[in-house]
Amino acid sequence: MIQRRDVFQAIADPTRRQIISMVAEQPLNVNAIADSFDVSRQAISLHIKILVECELLKIKKQGRERYCEVQLDQLREVDKWLAQYRKLFEKKLDNLENYLEKLKQERQHGK
Amino acid sequence: MENNDTRELLITRTLNAPIELVWEVWSNPEHIAKWWGPTGFTNTITKMDMVAGGEWVLTMHGPDGTNYPGKHFFKEVIEFKRICYEHFHPHFVATIDFEADGDQTHLTWHMVFDTTEILQAVIKAHNAAEGLKQNIEKLSAYLANKMNNHA
Repeated sequence: MIQRRDVFQAIADPTRRQIISMVAEQPLNVNAIADSFDVSRQAISLHIKILVECELLKIKKQGRERYCEVQLDQLREVDKWLAQYRKLFEKKLDNLENYLEKLKQERQHGK
Repeated sequence: MENNDTRELLITRTLNAPIELVWEVWSNPEHIAKWWGPTGFTNTITKMDMVAGGEWVLTMHGPDGTNYPGKHFFKEVIEFKRICYEHFHPHFVATIDFEADGDQTHLTWHMVFDTTEILQAVIKAHNAAEGLKQNIEKLSAYLANKMNNHA
């Protein structure tokens, strides 16, 4: 029984954050990720394993190569963050609607 | 490739106004200053060069007097059809499509955020929360310590 880890634990570690940022731009070969750090390959493997368990990363096999892809679905905070933008822009459109109404009224009654 | 769902926003709205009027209030700085930004805000538009590559600089003034400067670049402008602009901090590209329908106008507002930037914003928020938690822990430890010394 694997203990489900929490996403924030996953991104609380600077190395793991760096891995996510690297992969967020494009899927990367697992070895290429390991090569860009000064720590042991095992340490990086463990970080990747944790990120996979948290469903922040997906491993895709291509022939003998293993690629890491980012999966941001788990970062529900992201949705919250986007939700505030949605609210902001919905509001903007409300304002636009009200303003258009006002203008139409003004123009109908002559300036 | 990466999943885009978590970094895109799509908002559609049918406006009860003909496309010429909608375009006018969108493209004339005097008009846009009156509806852009949250309710209760006012806007000063210092530059609005509505051509591809043109700059659009505005400052939103909050009801409490706080100023929020914002800079955008137009990427594509097609009269009565499309406005596409890029915004920084946070970084996103917005595309607004206009479609005439008699006396109404359908508006589709599509925003694509920068994944990495979103990620960093989330992490920052998380770190701030963690930092706060640690500070509270430190404070309680410090207080506990003080109390013990006084005991």
